[in-house]
Amino acid sequence: MRSFSEFDPVAVTVWFFAVVGVAMFCGHPLLMAVSLAGAVLFFAVRNGRKHGRSHLFFVLLFAVLALANPLVSHNGATVLFVLNDRPVTLEALLYGVNSAAMIVGVLYWFRSFTQIMTSEKILCVAGTVSPKLALVLSMALRAVPMFARRAKQVSDAQKAMGLYSEDNIIDDLRGRMRVFSIISTWALENGIITADSMTARGYGTGRRTQLRRFRFTAADGVFTAITLALLGVVAAAIATDSLTFTFYPRIDVGVTGTLGVCGSIAYGALVLLPVFIETEVSLRWKYLQSKV
Amino acid sequence: MEILAVEGLTFTYPKCGSPAVRDVSLTLEKGEFAVLCGATGSGKSTLLRMLKRELTPLGERTGRILFRGKELSELADRDSAAKIGFVMQQPEQQIVTDKVWHELAFGLENLGVPQGEIARRTAEMASYFGIGEWYDRDVSELSGGQKQLLNLAAVLVMQPDILILDEPTAQLDPIAASDFIAALKRLNRDMSLTMIMAEHRLEEVVPICDRLMIMEGGTLAANGAPADVITRLRGREELLRGMPAASRLYAELEKGGSCPLTVREGRRYIEENYRFETRELPAEEYTVPVEAALSLKDVWFRYERGSRDIIKGLELAVGAGEIFCILGGNGSGKTTTLNAAAGLLKPYKGDIRVFGKKLRDYKNRSLYRECLALLPQDVQTTFLHNSVREELSECGADVKSLPYDVSRLMDKHPYDLSGGEQQLVALAKVLASKPKLLLLDEPTKGLDANAKADMTAILRRLKADGVTTVIVTHDVEFAAEAADRCAMFFGGQIVSVGTPREFFSCSSFYTTAVSRMTRGFYEGAVTVAQAAELCRLNGKREAAR
Repeated sequence: MRSFSEFDPVAVTVWFFAVVGVAMFCGHPLLMAVSLAGAVLFFAVRNGRKHGRSHLFFVLLFAVLALANPLVSHNGATVLFVLNDRPVTLEALLYGVNSAAMIVGVLYWFRSFTQIMTSEKILCVAGTVSPKLALVLSMALRAVPMFARRAKQVSDAQKAMGLYSEDNIIDDLRGRMRVFSIISTWALENGIITADSMTARGYGTGRRTQLRRFRFTAADGVFTAITLALLGVVAAAIATDSLTFTFYPRIDVGVTGTLGVCGSIAYGALVLLPVFIETEVSLRWKYLQSKV
Repeated sequence: MEILAVEGLTFTYPKCGSPAVRDVSLTLEKGEFAVLCGATGSGKSTLLRMLKRELTPLGERTGRILFRGKELSELADRDSAAKIGFVMQQPEQQIVTDKVWHELAFGLENLGVPQGEIARRTAEMASYFGIGEWYDRDVSELSGGQKQLLNLAAVLVMQPDILILDEPTAQLDPIAASDFIAALKRLNRDMSLTMIMAEHRLEEVVPICDRLMIMEGGTLAANGAPADVITRLRGREELLRGMPAASRLYAELEKGGSCPLTVREGRRYIEENYRFETRELPAEEYTVPVEAALSLKDVWFRYERGSRDIIKGLELAVGAGEIFCILGGNGSGKTTTLNAAAGLLKPYKGDIRVFGKKLRDYKNRSLYRECLALLPQDVQTTFLHNSVREELSECGADVKSLPYDVSRLMDKHPYDLSGGEQQLVALAKVLASKPKLLLLDEPTKGLDANAKADMTAILRRLKADGVTTVIVTHDVEFAAEAADRCAMFFGGQIVSVGTPREFFSCSSFYTTAVSRMTRGFYEGAVTVAQAAELCRLNGKREAAR
């Protein structure tokens, strides 16, 4: 029994790019609304009341993004009022709301994605593409914080020897420059040892394999298949122009055929897929617990 | 079965007049544990690197190296990588990846071993070394000792036939080093793994090794069973220094029986050969100077509001002109205390005075001018320039007024120096501000026995100039030699203080090997010199008995 975050990283990534890809490349307001609502719901289901305050920031961001468009763009037929001799139109306002929904929705998806995809999972996905890429990423993930720590140590040591004072900006800057330059030397020096350690353990002797710590199970397969099927329906709807929406010069909902309706439902299902899984898992867990 | 054979190996680095390794011949049997020792720069590392093809330095080479009867250069790439394991000195830099499990898998991934096999072998290795608990962690969260154990496991997972170790414990504190050596001993015993190890922490290694080799100026000066080799070293002070205390005592005294290596053998040697009439050396009076250089009263410190106390009501007074050693386990708060005394950390309660003046009354960094200086544990962090000369001139150090000579190092890059030399240069930088109170954090970490002896001599000379030194260390033997007074730090406080003689003769575990060896026979003997003097005073037992 696995919750969505414990699914195979590749399955999660495929699903994530399907959802975000549609949200970014199809501007249909219905899909935007589904994406935004789904993203916020998914984040809330996963985090509960934590990060409560951060939502406020996104509400503000939404408002700013929505209102910025009508102030800048003056296309559209329905004039609401005139500001500084420039018309503010209904169409531009709605367009702003739509793109705000798109941006904020995608941001929320990314928030959940970064929570789920730890560095280890990203490496696993990268390793599926190329084991070498995974290794480079893994080394980089280690090196950056290591240099930051070292820089702190060096500057502390200098301080305790009373060498650089921070009272004087120029002296301070020069001190920092020296610290930076010696850290670069140190990094090179380190690099030699690390390279030795790599060749000593057979790096570059031929094709590498990769230890994968996640197992792609049948459930992952089913999940990925459903994801791809739903994505296919949405893509078909978009490709056949069954989901069109024009803002300028006048709002035009266009013709939403059967395929369009199917596409919208498919996207809704795609977005809610992990929420279904999480709910199902928690219900099943409660049931199992009741038997303990 | 002979696993490794070196025949007449000579190696010269490019643009070097004399060879770094000269006409070395040796063989290693399957399951043998050989220890290679010698002064810094005697060619140990070069020799070991010659045995691992991937790490062989560029230069001119003559002679042969045979691995399982086959020339080293004829091995297949993957065999050479897997079958000859190599562990280096630096715990941190040897690690390649960011996660413990990935590091363990790294070598096998390189060899193209199938996934299931990698999973099995890493799991097996992790349980053998007790790494299971930190299998999922970031390597940056590990301690130095854990990192080095991980490096060892990451090499062993490739199932080598021979393991080469180049001073693997030099960067570790004594407790982590003992653990590491214990792991090696277990491997040798359980797996019959062949090992050759360069080392200068010989107290623990020599008793468990099968063969001791000594390098001197690039040649193999001695090669044989440890007891025989040490017996032949009589009178060679600079080579004997790093050896186990029991064998040094034996070398100081007259011949008789075989050379003892462990504390147990040392006790038997003393018991069988010497009389116990004079139990004690005349006590040297030591009075604590009245003027206090550093005093801490009821000091409390924690890093964050919600965290636990690191220093708990610490009381400490160091007299002016003393050499004061603070000993204690890992994470007991020793380094924190030193940083608090240097004004880098601010205790939330208590009073710290330097020469009678409160720390906060030293305005505008006047504390760090001709008053107090701190040398951190990792001395490399004090270096900012490309040569020792720039390094010293920047802080205005007067090379001539130093109590030791660094002139031969002036044009080298600080990173190219040996551990002992780095320590000396960093100390020179710190001494430039003419401190009256010197705080040293683990000054003997990574030093060989001779560099330690030099350090002791330097501290004595500084003391003669009126400098007070407070040293935080794990190194019991060094403290016994160098300190005027020692203190035991435990649980955020000082639990006992005394002269080395009082201090070490009343503790039974946290004490020097000599003290453990002479307990019950003689009182208050802490160093080899003291024990040897006592033995001589008492004279030999009659051979007839």
